[in-house]
Amino acid sequence: MSMPKGYISENGYATVIKSGGMSYKDIAEEMTRRGFKMKHSAARNILLEAMKKLAVGVCELYDMDNTDIMRVASDPRFQECVASYLEEESII
Amino acid sequence: MSEALQTYFTKVGKYPLLTREQEIDLAKKIEAGDSRAKNKMIQSNLRLAISIAKKYQRKGCSLEDLIQESNMGLIKAVDRFDWRKGFKFSTYAYWWIKQSVRTHVASQASDIKLPAHTRNLLWKMNEMVKEYDDQFGQKPSYDEVSEALGIPTSTLMSMIKCSSQTSLDANIRDRSGGAGRKIAEVVPDNNAASVEDLLDSVKIKGVMRSALRTLTSREENIIRLRFGIGDSSEQSKGQFILSQNEVKEIRRIAK
Repeated sequence: MSMPKGYISENGYATVIKSGGMSYKDIAEEMTRRGFKMKHSAARNILLEAMKKLAVGVCELYDMDNTDIMRVASDPRFQECVASYLEEESII
Repeated sequence: MSEALQTYFTKVGKYPLLTREQEIDLAKKIEAGDSRAKNKMIQSNLRLAISIAKKYQRKGCSLEDLIQESNMGLIKAVDRFDWRKGFKFSTYAYWWIKQSVRTHVASQASDIKLPAHTRNLLWKMNEMVKEYDDQFGQKPSYDEVSEALGIPTSTLMSMIKCSSQTSLDANIRDRSGGAGRKIAEVVPDNNAASVEDLLDSVKIKGVMRSALRTLTSREENIIRLRFGIGDSSEQSKGQFILSQNEVKEIRRIAK
């Protein structure tokens, strides 16, 4: 999904390459290789859906509106926190 | 005073002091390479070494160490004494002993090694503060001290910081004069998380745990790939644990 012209990300992007993560294109290729045919945009949408699921609980905890869920889910700081939490806890 | 030190003082007290003629006589023999004469000269002046060492007792070093250093200075003085100059040995030795002890005090009294010129500046600063206090009845400001010494205030502050360090294991004296807790116990940890943060963290972890259970296997795998969680080697990437539905789907695609 391309960003609108002139879009400036408020908080940058979650740094994934440095931590050994993959780009959406690579994820799509990897998942396709495993039988889940998808484009990079689908990989991104699935990741955002997952982040939304995780953000719901956090928004409820802090009495935030439902409209904030998407904002929190796509916030790179939230995504990095989720990643470091998952890595620490080795939950998944 | 320790028993060993007392014994040493008693022993040293037994060596007689030398007359000027005896000093010259011994100095000549030392020049000729007589080691017994050298020993006698050293032994006869050990009391001088002790008296100088005692002056530096309250500078943060043990008296035993100071006497040791003092004696080293005395040996150096014996080696370099020139009787032809006409001075008494004690006059000459005094400066060597003092120099040796002061060097030791300067290097041992502080955990932070300071260059000689910095130590000199600190000494000047202390003298200046004392004089100012005597004259005006109050201590000078940092700006006044730095101006008097001709150094920037920032340098002065760094010097003061370096010269006044305290051990974290030192006891804090309470009002009654008794030793209370140690300094390390009362130094705040500015990096430590607050209680509110810790509680929030526990709550968020609980929320995350329950939310993670709702993720599908595909979502889980994409998060794992996206953030490089777990092994990122090619070998391990081929060892994903797939759900039963995914296995069925793969089988369906394969047919």
